Amino acid sequence: MTLALQLAVAGLATGSVYALIAIGVVLIFKCSGVVNFAQGAYAMVGAYVSYVLLRTGLPAIVAVLGSMAVLAVFGTLTERLVLRPMLKAPLVAVMMVTLGLLIVSRAACLIVWGPDQIAFPKVFPEGAISAAGIFITYNYVAAGVLALVLSLGFLAFYQFTPIGLQQRCAADNTRAALAIGIHVSNQVSLAWAMSAALAGLAGTLLATLNGLSLDLAGIGMIAFPVIVVGGLSSLAGALIAGLLLGMLQSFTDGLLTPALEEFLREHTSIYSVGALQQVVPYALLVLMLLFRPQGLFGRRGTERV
Amino acid sequence: MSARQLAITVGVAVLMGVLGLALGRYAAYLVNAVAIAALGALSLNLIIGYCGQISFAQGALLGVGAYTAGNLSNAGLDGAVAILGGGLLGAAVSALVGLPAMRLRGLYFAIATLAAQAILEYLFKILDPLTNGVSGLVITPPTILGFPMNSDQSLVVPSLVILVLAWLAVSRLMRTDLGRAFLVVRESEIVAKGMGIDVSHAKMQAFLIGGFIAGVAGALAGYANRLASPEAFTLDLSADYIAMIIIGGLGTWPGPLIGAAFVVLLPEAIQRVGEAAGISDILSALRELAFGLLIILFLIFEPRGLTALLSRLRPRGIGAAPHGSVGAPGESGQPQEGGSR
Repeated sequence: MTLALQLAVAGLATGSVYALIAIGVVLIFKCSGVVNFAQGAYAMVGAYVSYVLLRTGLPAIVAVLGSMAVLAVFGTLTERLVLRPMLKAPLVAVMMVTLGLLIVSRAACLIVWGPDQIAFPKVFPEGAISAAGIFITYNYVAAGVLALVLSLGFLAFYQFTPIGLQQRCAADNTRAALAIGIHVSNQVSLAWAMSAALAGLAGTLLATLNGLSLDLAGIGMIAFPVIVVGGLSSLAGALIAGLLLGMLQSFTDGLLTPALEEFLREHTSIYSVGALQQVVPYALLVLMLLFRPQGLFGRRGTERV
Repeated sequence: MSARQLAITVGVAVLMGVLGLALGRYAAYLVNAVAIAALGALSLNLIIGYCGQISFAQGALLGVGAYTAGNLSNAGLDGAVAILGGGLLGAAVSALVGLPAMRLRGLYFAIATLAAQAILEYLFKILDPLTNGVSGLVITPPTILGFPMNSDQSLVVPSLVILVLAWLAVSRLMRTDLGRAFLVVRESEIVAKGMGIDVSHAKMQAFLIGGFIAGVAGALAGYANRLASPEAFTLDLSADYIAMIIIGGLGTWPGPLIGAAFVVLLPEAIQRVGEAAGISDILSALRELAFGLLIILFLIFEPRGLTALLSRLRPRGIGAAPHGSVGAPGESGQPQEGGSR
């Protein structure tokens, strides 16, 4: 029981960081119909920029905000320079160009910072909380709470502020938005900027948990199972699905994997199931697409035809 | 397929064969790499370019072929049988990957194939008895129809022969009812249904045929590298193949070969230049950077690929796509309305 609780808390912490990345993907999809594979690249670049700023001795909060600002510019630039000229291109070309962005960002980071994992500077104080028999480091608490608060804050911003209203309007019906005087193309750029900034923050948080490396770009791929489970067009869905998948991964790692390995060792010659927690989200993705393609919270018929 | 296409196909293959056999080991290695990549691109062009089903699982399908053929020939079977086995299992797995396409379209299906790629990569790593886990399966050079495949040169003939056969088969296929059905399914599933086309059946055929060719390409890739390892068949490889068919020209006849040659030879060229310039330590990163930038620039400025670019320079060229047709032009160059969006 204590183990289950421990796993649940750890899963919620990483899950809320996933949610932060996935919310960005949904935001971009709603606004510009693009499925952005480069979201993981934003997370990775964000983490490296934070690293550089932290190394200069800036206070953590300034460094993280600075990296989010840099990422917002990066996001806007990708939208303006890369995606906008491709408005009429076929879907496969649009998906491929975002993959191209991912490849370029990864190569650029590789050239600048090298292939090795870098120890990330301390952002949160050392130590751990132990309560109700579970044990969790401040790192996890801070990352989880921060990501959760920011996700909720962003949802509130999107739902209740005038800019959020313009965003929703531009995403919902471009023509109607233009007709009532919303500058749709600026709103699209803004969506990319916010999305990249959120991913940059998520990348920084992941780096505080697991260290800084190029793998962060790959972790961004987890956003796809998350958004499919949550429903491609639902921001709240992305948040809930992110938390769910975080917990699912954590339980797979802590409970299912040991049980399964024991069973397999007895009955087959397979001695390890490897990183099972990394494929479980994808298996869930396939099941979801087969039985409820609109996701838990999506609407039917949201496919871009 | 027209007589001209037949002549071009055979002519190009003979030229590649002569180059590969006359210019030594490195040239043979390059010819093999291009031929294998062209096979894989041919199969993906069938699935994405002609039938309109976006798949990110091509890399893993090649892996299935490589592991299957490797195991079969390591067990003492002739290479030809092993390659056939790789193709058959490739087709079976491809049918599984394509299964969600019966219910899903466009973007949703593309994401489903992303999952298939992730799951297959995982299976390569853990199915130890068949794949030897993360360290990879060492493949001993097989004999194909009695000829030992112990050098790069010896593999040139089989890979080119297979490339020509597959190329002609796909060209022929696109002149049949089924091939035409693919094009209609790509343009509009609703129209296809209205015309009495069994959409699910057509898609499944595309996945079976495409999977077979991909499996064969993977088998040859396994023999060329003498190793099948999980790192060789990742999403990055899938991305390479999608880049090839887009750079070559989506849904065009010569596209897969042009794209494959470009994507295989460009990094080699960068490698040579980099080695000459003495910057070999960051070379692999630079190579990726250049590759990614080229993909992006290509997609922005010439989304219809090199085939369109060539035919613009020479209006009556091979696979000439008329100006102004957005999206993928048809197999023999007729204008097709819309793209695979």
